[in-house]
Amino acid sequence: MNNNKSKRALLGGSALALLGAIAAPTTVSAMDGASVLQEKCLICHTRTGDPEAPYSRISQQRKTPEGWHMTINRMQRLNGLVISPQEKQAVIQYLADTQGLAPSETAPYRYVLEQQPNVVEQDIDPAYVEMCARCHSSARFGLQRRTEAEWKLHVNTHMAINPTTELHALARDRSWYDIALNDTAPKLAKDFNFHDAAWKKWQAAPKPELAGRWSVAGFLPEQGDYSATLTITPTSNNRFELTLDGHFVDGTALKGSGKAKLYAGYEWRAQLNVNGTKMRQVMAASEDGQQLTGRMYQVGRDEMGGEINAHVGTAIAGVSPAAIKQGAVQEITIMGSELKGNVSLGRGVSVEKVLTRDNDRIVVLARAQKNATVGARDVRVGQSRDQQALAVYDQVARVAVVPAESIARVGGNGGLVPKVQSTYRAQAFSAGPDGKAGTADDLNLGYMPANWSVAPFNETAEHDKDTKYAGSIDQQGIFTPGDAGLNPERKFSTNNLGNLKVVASMGEGDEQVSGDAHLLVTVPVYIKRAVQ
Amino acid sequence: MTFSRLFKAVALMGAASGAALLTGCAANPMAEQGMKAGGHEYVLTVTRPNQLHIIDTETKDVVRSCDVPGTFGSGSIASSPDGRIAYVLTAGTEKVVGFDIRNCDIVFAANQSINGERVKTFVSLAVSNDGKELYTVQNPTRKLNDRYDVLQPRLAVYDTAAGLNAKPLRTYPVDRRITKIAVMGDGRIVLGGADLTAINPNTGEVKMLSKIQNWNRAGSWVPPDAFAMFNQGEHVGEYIMPYFTIKWNGAPGDMEKAEFWWGMNRIDLASGEVEETETVPFEFIVFNWITDPLNKDILYGAFNQLSKHDISKKETVAAVDLDHTFYSINMDSNRTIYIGGASSDISVHNPDTLEKIASIQLTGDMSSADLRVVKLH
Ligand code: HEC
Ligand code: HEC
Repeated sequence: MNNNKSKRALLGGSALALLGAIAAPTTVSAMDGASVLQEKCLICHTRTGDPEAPYSRISQQRKTPEGWHMTINRMQRLNGLVISPQEKQAVIQYLADTQGLAPSETAPYRYVLEQQPNVVEQDIDPAYVEMCARCHSSARFGLQRRTEAEWKLHVNTHMAINPTTELHALARDRSWYDIALNDTAPKLAKDFNFHDAAWKKWQAAPKPELAGRWSVAGFLPEQGDYSATLTITPTSNNRFELTLDGHFVDGTALKGSGKAKLYAGYEWRAQLNVNGTKMRQVMAASEDGQQLTGRMYQVGRDEMGGEINAHVGTAIAGVSPAAIKQGAVQEITIMGSELKGNVSLGRGVSVEKVLTRDNDRIVVLARAQKNATVGARDVRVGQSRDQQALAVYDQVARVAVVPAESIARVGGNGGLVPKVQSTYRAQAFSAGPDGKAGTADDLNLGYMPANWSVAPFNETAEHDKDTKYAGSIDQQGIFTPGDAGLNPERKFSTNNLGNLKVVASMGEGDEQVSGDAHLLVTVPVYIKRAVQ
Repeated sequence: MTFSRLFKAVALMGAASGAALLTGCAANPMAEQGMKAGGHEYVLTVTRPNQLHIIDTETKDVVRSCDVPGTFGSGSIASSPDGRIAYVLTAGTEKVVGFDIRNCDIVFAANQSINGERVKTFVSLAVSNDGKELYTVQNPTRKLNDRYDVLQPRLAVYDTAAGLNAKPLRTYPVDRRITKIAVMGDGRIVLGGADLTAINPNTGEVKMLSKIQNWNRAGSWVPPDAFAMFNQGEHVGEYIMPYFTIKWNGAPGDMEKAEFWWGMNRIDLASGEVEETETVPFEFIVFNWITDPLNKDILYGAFNQLSKHDISKKETVAAVDLDHTFYSINMDSNRTIYIGGASSDISVHNPDTLEKIASIQLTGDMSSADLRVVKLH
């Protein structure tokens, strides 16, 4: 009977889950999440008798696989749930598929799923900034949908598991609990509505087909740009094997393989080994199934990662560097897959010589005429075209360091938590038609190599010699912070924290241009959660 | 100053010659324990993992360390009027344990988390003037099968003679967010939270002493951020709730023209009189203030600096850098300043020069613990 019930629940789930269960009913990963839920969760949770919301507390929330993971972790840590890793995986899969988020619901908050470092959340509703988004990201709740009653109950959970919540700065100056319950929770129920039609629509929609070959371009801080072919092979329901085969921009081979899971029909989570390093991919399939976009990063060193984009079929995925100076002769690498045919770099830029040629990568020696018009042009390889992919410029007039706001964390030194580095790229601009840098018509020249250094952010930082203690930056733009712990050399024996500017400069003499970004070197975090 | 020196000398003489009389005992049992009565002063604090330390103000030696049961709470301490019993908040602030500081005997214990509730206390600990009652403010939650209830905070009144399984005699509802509490001369208890109120522990009647968050100032003042997480003030019988506020001289939000102020609500516990005043412009962080017994206008504060302020002039008159960050500050009747909390050493200072005159090394970090000065009788 238990079995019957769970099958019905499964039928109610996404088409994908149903398909998988039929295709591979015996594998561990296809363990029946619905029946695990009934067996393990209903020890404490109750049947409500309401077919729309059958289980107390569980049925009136929707969230990402990471969100479900966090909740179930808390069930284990604080509430006494006992569950095996396979069972837990099955429940997460089941809940993320049946009570998940639609692609449009996760779109504004991908950064937190992708573990992007140095995100400064913009334009958070003031009603949430101080009440909710001061302890964790606004994405943590932005990636959930609940009924008002569930938002309220979760306020109680906050008060119970962290009783000093109402005493912190920005809470003790107001009736935090009353406001959270009576103002914030009703607003959350409107802004992040459990019954939002987006999810119903997505559940009914056909899901992207992922099996096959994809053309990939991406970036990693230590190796730079790369291109590769991603091959995805289904193994069972929502489970895949993958290989990654390509090159970094300097010609080094890139080889990777691993396994992936798919949630809610579009949330791709892969664990793979790339040239001997364990990495994770967090990507979302586009609703039309033509793209996978997200981030790939080192396991345990989340900050060491970068964007990754996969397209169906053959295409130019990227051009590196993406700009050439008038009159210059330089190497340009075109990345993609199935790159066949003649290379054309647009008006005023000629291919002097093809230096190397692979399926996924062509390196050419290019020459820009002295009088080539400033501006972007399309790059073509045979039939493939990448629009506005290469810019011709007169002079670098502005440098922007990305990210503009960043954090690194001291660590190591015998402590439990390793250092958290931060990585930068220098984005170059020429002045554009108005001849003035820093205006809207500046021409983006893409990322370029730069000379990297750090400087004190302000007078206090200068006085406290932060540049001496807080860490250093290498010529790849990777900042490594100082050791954790107190430093007797510093005033008040304080730790190696610091307030710095990360400076990138390009060009020589009169033509030297530099830009900077803000870097706060701060304390280690001891608790890291799936949704920060 | 001369007076307080004299006072100390008399107290010491009393301890040496007349302790037996003062304590009403045939012999002086404390002498054997290496402690002096007759009002001799001791500094009390708690360190991690969880020890109560008793420090002689004269020698600056730790005379005794008592193991506190349970995991470290907040390290909050309240003392009986005769200085003998130190009540310590422990077990994640869910329990109060009373120690006879003369021998580390546990004479009182109350587990507040009973009847299916989990009860936390945010530093709110005080003893009645006759020593017969102990007060805490309880913040209860209740865990059900699949949810939590958040219950009304309350004042709990315990009989200090109730022994090791004490239960509240009475409870009365109070506001949320109560931290520091203290007993006034008339027996009412100051509750420091959003505002300062006083509760009658026999009737539960609550009266406003001083509005803080709900103050009636004109719009150019930002409602203050008031906060007290450390108990002190026993050296002059005061209760201070420090606050931080901003005065807009231009449009609200115009930081260029704004003034940033420290302020305080100070209660004379004997008379119940309350002052609300800006103290000094905000220049650096001060965690706690204490008043100079010789001059009410002189305050001392500590954090990264030990600072001295003259509030009649709204000026910081002196500040010295400390060796590291400290949280708490207190003073003995000799006006010697003790600065503790955060780390494992107490920094001892001269109040006139602010000079560091001694350091007391403890076995663990005080973190959020109180530093209290008791007169042992
Ligand atoms: C041993 C008891 C127990 C078990 C077993 C248990 N839970 Fe819970 N659950 C609780 C309690 C208590 C709460 C309320 C406190 C909290 O949110 O941690 C809760 C709350 C929840 C909530 C609401 C959380 C929120 O963020 O508001 C969800 C969802 C949930 N549980 C899901 C599950 C799932 C799924 C399982 C089975 C895999 C499970 N629980 C098993 C006790 C349990
Ligand atoms: C005092 C810091 C603090 C504040 C303020 C705070 N949170 Fe949280 N929140 C936490 C912590 C800590 C957790 C992790 C709980 C756990 O252990 O799983 C959390 C978890 C969450 C989760 C995920 C829980 C789950 O299992 O799905 C959501 C959603 C959330 N908070 C929403 C909010 C909202 C909405 C507000 C404002 C009303 C808020 N938080 C205010 C600290 C805070």
